[in-house]
Order: sequence, then structure tokens, then C-alpha cells
Amino acid sequence: MNELVLSAWSAVTPYGVGGEPFRAGVTSGREAVAVLDREAHPGPFTRGAVIPDFSAAKYVGKKGTRTMDRETAIAVTAFGRLIAECGDGLTERPGEVGLVLGTGSGSVQSIMDFTRDSLTGERPYHVDPARFPSTVMNRATGQSAIRHGIKGPNTTVAGGSLTGLLALSYALRLHKGGHCARVLCGAAEEYSTQRAWLEWHGRGEAERDVPLGEGGAVFLVEPAADAHAAGRGPLARILATRFRAYHAPDDARQALAACVRGALETAGVTADAVRLVAPLGLGGALAGQEERGIAEALGDVRPRMLRVSALLGDTSAAATGLQVAAVLAAAGSRGLGPGEAALVTGVERDGTVGCALLGGV
Amino acid sequence: MHDKEQWPRRVVITGLGTVTSIGLGVAAFLDGLRSGRGGVKPITGFDTTGFAHANGCEVDDFDPARWIHHVDPDGLGRATQFAVAAAGMAVADAGLSQDELRARRSLVSVGTTDAETRDLDALAGVQLAEGPEHLDPNVARRAQAGRLSTGIVRELGLTDVEALTIPTACAAGNYAIGNGFDAIRDGDVEVALCGGADAVCRKNFVGFYRLGTVAPEVCQPFDKNRKGILTGEGAGILLMESLDSALARGARIYAEVLGYGLNCDAHHPVAPDQDSLARCMEVAHRNAGVKPEDIDFISAHGTGTRANDVTETGAIRQVFATPPPTVSIKSMIGHSMGAASALASAACALALTEGFIPPTVNHGETDPECGLDCVPNEARPADLDVVQNNALAFAGNNAVLILGRHREAAR
Repeated sequence: MNELVLSAWSAVTPYGVGGEPFRAGVTSGREAVAVLDREAHPGPFTRGAVIPDFSAAKYVGKKGTRTMDRETAIAVTAFGRLIAECGDGLTERPGEVGLVLGTGSGSVQSIMDFTRDSLTGERPYHVDPARFPSTVMNRATGQSAIRHGIKGPNTTVAGGSLTGLLALSYALRLHKGGHCARVLCGAAEEYSTQRAWLEWHGRGEAERDVPLGEGGAVFLVEPAADAHAAGRGPLARILATRFRAYHAPDDARQALAACVRGALETAGVTADAVRLVAPLGLGGALAGQEERGIAEALGDVRPRMLRVSALLGDTSAAATGLQVAAVLAAAGSRGLGPGEAALVTGVERDGTVGCALLGGV
Repeated sequence: MHDKEQWPRRVVITGLGTVTSIGLGVAAFLDGLRSGRGGVKPITGFDTTGFAHANGCEVDDFDPARWIHHVDPDGLGRATQFAVAAAGMAVADAGLSQDELRARRSLVSVGTTDAETRDLDALAGVQLAEGPEHLDPNVARRAQAGRLSTGIVRELGLTDVEALTIPTACAAGNYAIGNGFDAIRDGDVEVALCGGADAVCRKNFVGFYRLGTVAPEVCQPFDKNRKGILTGEGAGILLMESLDSALARGARIYAEVLGYGLNCDAHHPVAPDQDSLARCMEVAHRNAGVKPEDIDFISAHGTGTRANDVTETGAIRQVFATPPPTVSIKSMIGHSMGAASALASAACALALTEGFIPPTVNHGETDPECGLDCVPNEARPADLDVVQNNALAFAGNNAVLILGRHREAAR
């Protein structure tokens, strides 16, 4: 059977660079949010979760990284880790490997710095041309392909806090459509002073105490048979992704419940198989709507809850991607067990909900 | 319910929504393409003081309140307003009522280069003048790429919907349309509203200006005397459904989506790669089940820069023993960035239905390095069966879409 599975993953997070620090942090429930160094991170937040001692020069190399934005460095590093762990065979036929990355609005720091330079320079075009590509939102995705020689479809996906789930769904469809043999898929977000200010102003007053985080999570999506052939035990089958919309804040619960029920039905899985749930847990009152929507869809089942945002803060576009990584981290090196299922959910402030249902192997 | 359906399903375009500098709505866009109208004017979207030249192709007669009825236009950035307006036009053009649309599972997929960077520009200005404590919460909230697609969901009142924005820069429109094609083909959704949107902004103009690629007056693709791109704006949204669905409801069919191809040069951040683009065309032909000789014309990426035009025509020569007529509608509507290949797809669909090849305007003398028949200055009547729409983007992201004429008699 040509079922698609997640067969490898990596992450770059406030726990450190690589999958292992993330696994250790998430499974032990260690909070990564800390008091921010105000010199490095001025802005409205006093606490946050940043990747310790992370820079493009340190992790991507000094060559050609002078103008590399942080989001791009996070993505390039995460994909690099994933590819290294899987071995060279993974990218032997680079035209058959797709790369899909979720982003918020690219690097808002790079975009707004470029505009500022135009507004403050002696002439409005006195800007550094080498910084222009970092102001385009496919920069991190494109650089990941360039740095790692991946020549298949290269797609950037954005959808607020559902970004990671939408990138996964896009990757499944891309594969199903015959556009590539396997997909490297993930989502990334940078901590920057500019993003902090935009988040601060964009949120309701009640949500302003939620700290910001950053990071990236990346996955290998491939047919189960290919994973086995390459000696990679599948970690989870991708049973379904599903999305819906709501048009009043109080309807988010109902929309998510319908979404989860739809995913269960598509997959032919009963609610009692769901052992792990990783909700987004953000958006003020929406987090409560999310919890109630999940409870409504799962009934009496009491799965283990993985609350990533309680540990890493609001990682915006990376959030649902990091939730998928948390499920894989919790499942361990052998993946989800036979008959087990895991659910990842999200509720976006602008009226959409989504979920992914993963199954044991 | 799908007993009689062919799988994978055939996918057709039955509705078009277009917001362009040469007209709002499909009738005005078609008239502009046929008559070779140009949308170039001095840019008014930001203060152009200090630039030696600042022409562009802006949408200057857009009243959001006329097109957006269910959400507050002020809660949407300009690019989202364009996308929402174009989506509404596409639904109306397809002859679907709101209830019929809402009853179907749908995909909304919108490509973009800069999303709401126009708002980010404004916020950068406020930040300089007053400090970051004084940013407008409404503007900060709406300045997110994801909103281009969720704005459409809100306006149309969709509930059973998957909505994503595809910020794959200047090839994003074709990416989004391909995404919708796959979703309908495999039965994931019944309707797809896909395309692209962008709004003229300082950040984008400054970048291209600094690279020396902005033409002082007009955009002249494939011309010996071309001087570069003109930045533009707008939105193109296509409504797609399965052929069976369109036939069952007696819908007018503009074109069939035969297939598409994507690849990545993985080479240079901004310069295109001829071999890689040629491969992308071959992938598109294979996926669509067509041969180079089947293509009746190519809607080129055709930005009007030397780097693009020479590389693109070189790639076309690699794939086509005898290249078909190759045109660039950017000569008329400028480079509308993420909307560009979506609007070019809409132009291709109209060309198939109406039987003409849109012209490449502002054309004096063809560059011998290109040497293609670019259908100079005047539209050409033509009986068309299969057309190809090229798109290239920064980071070496290529996307080629193949559309075919739907012939009733063949059914």
C-alpha cells in the first residue's frame, strides 16, 4: 500500500538545535520561556522563548549569510539536520524531492527594515540590494532548496496559526498529484523585535501577556514502502487533514468538532483510538473553544495532552508544525503504536480551524 | 454519488474574477486584452519623490465597497481587498449562487509575492515618525499573508473549506491554480477558488528599482529596446470544478486545466536558469499529456528584463523545435507579482474561449536574441486548442500551467 507516512523529523527550537533537545524538553514538560535579554530583544515583551545562541553564521556557515534573515537560517538549519539524519540517498534524485515550508509573512523584520532604509536614506533607493530577496516571502523555502540542492516543487504556504497543518496538507496533495516522490515539509518562524511589535498590536489586550516563541519543525513525508526500503521505520501514518471555517468566535468550538469528526470518519478511526492530542492553545478565548471542540468530538476519551504553546509561547506560523513534531517526539523512536492515533489541532483568529490525524504503524 | 464520474476527474474553469489596471471584471479585462490597452501611469500608491522615474500599472478605479459586501473592507489590506473582490466576481461569473457555493466543499488558494507589505510599509513609516508603540492595531492585524485567503472565506461565508495563501513570489498564481487542480482532480473538494493577488508597494518598487530593472516609461517584453519591468497590482481568481459538475449544472466552460509542472532551479536567488525552466515545461507537458507541437501559443513570464526574456526564450527553444507565438500580457498590465500568472491564466482561458491571441504591446523591434513571434501590438484571431502559461519566481521557483479548449462536440 502506498500510504503516506512521516518517517523522519527534526526541529530547531528554544530547547536547542536538533530533534533530541526538543524531544527531551517537550516530553519532560520543561518551560522554555524565559526573561528576554532586553538589549538583544527590545520591544513590548519582557519574556519569550528564543533559540539559544543561534545565528546564521554559526549554523549555516559564514559564506553567503551576511544578509540571511533569521527565519531562513532556522529553516535551512532544520532541513539540513533532517537531510543529514536521513543520509545522502534522500536527495539522490533532487528533481523528485519536493520542499514545502510554512511561513507567517516571511521575515517581517527584513521587510520593514528594507522599507525603513528607503525612507531614511539620502535617496529612496539607497538600500542594500543583497537584502532584497529576504524581503520576499519565499526566501526561506528557496534558500532551503538552494543550500541543500533540492530541485523538485518548492512551495511556500501561509495560513496564520494553521500554517503548519496547511503545509502538511499541501505536501500530501502535491505527492498525490504525482509531482514528487517524497516531500520535505515544515514550518518556521523567527523571533524579531518587529514581529513582537506587530503581534503586540494585533492581539487583544487580554492576550498580550502570552510570550512569543520561535522555531521550526520539519518532516519527511513519503510512501510507507519507500521508508521501509530506505531502512527508516515509519513513525506515523498521515490519516487525514481537515479544515473548516467559523463566522462568529463562539462557533469555533463547533467548527473544530466537525473538523475532527470529519477527519476520524475519513480515516475510519474511532475516537477511543486517539491517545495523544496536541492543541494550539492560543488566541485567548479561542483556546477554550478549541479544548471544548476537541472534547465534543472525542467524547469520553481522555487522551494525553501535549501543550506546546505553554512551553514555547506563541510560535505563530511554526506552532502547528511544532505540535506535529511534539506528537512524534512523544511517540518515541518507534513511532505511534499499532491502533493508536494522535490529533493535532489549531484555531486561527481569522475564522479558520484545522486538524491532522496521525495513526500508528 | 460519483458512480458515473471518471477518475481522476477532469477539471474545468467556469468562472473568472479579474482586478487589473486595464479594467475591473472579466468583460473589461477581455476588452483590454483584445484592444491591447495599457495600464501604465505614474505611481500614486506611495510617495515617489526622489526616484528618477516611477511609472507603474495601478488599479486606480477600485472602490472596495462596490465589491465587498459582507466584511468591513477596512479590516482587509489592499491585496486582500483585490483577492476578495476577484473571488466574488469569479463566483458570480460562474453562475453559482452563494447557497450553492456554500453547500460544496471548497479550497481557497491565493498566491502572492508581497501579501500586505503595503500595510507593512505604512507601519514602518509610522514607526519611524512616532515610534513602535503607535502602530494601528487594525493594520497590524490585517497585514498577514494568510488573510488573502481567509478574507475570501469570510466574505463568501464558506464553512466547509480549506484556505491557504501561497507566497511563492512571482510564480505564485500558477502554484495556487495547480493546487486547486489537484484538489478537484482527486475529489478532495468540489469547488476551488484559486489565483493570486498583490498591491503596489514601496518595498517592492525600491527593490526592483535598486536592481536597475524598472523601466522608465513602458514595459516592452522581447523588444530590442526593452528597459525592464513595470510594477503592477491586481488579482485574478479562477473558479474551478470538475467537468461533470460543470456539465450537470450547464455551466459555461472557459477551459479545461490539463495539468501543470513545478520545479526549482536550486541555483541562484534571483537569476533564472534556462535548463531548469526547460525541464519545468517538459514536466508540465508530460503531466498534461501534450506534446510541444500541440501548444498553440505561450503566455510567457515575459517581464521585459533582459535576464528574463533571453533565458525564457532560450528555454522555449530548447523544448520547442518550432516555437509557437509567445506573448507577454505584462506589456499591458505590468508585473502584478503574485497575481501575474493568475491573470495570465485568466487571459489564456479567455483566449481559448474567444479565439484570439492577446498581443505584446509597446513593441518596436524584436530582439534577435529572442526572435520569437510575440504577436506585436495587435491581438490575432486564432483557433486555439492548447495553450501554455509560464511563470518564474525569485529563488528559482518555476511553474508552468497547460490549459485546453473544451469542445462540446468532443463529448
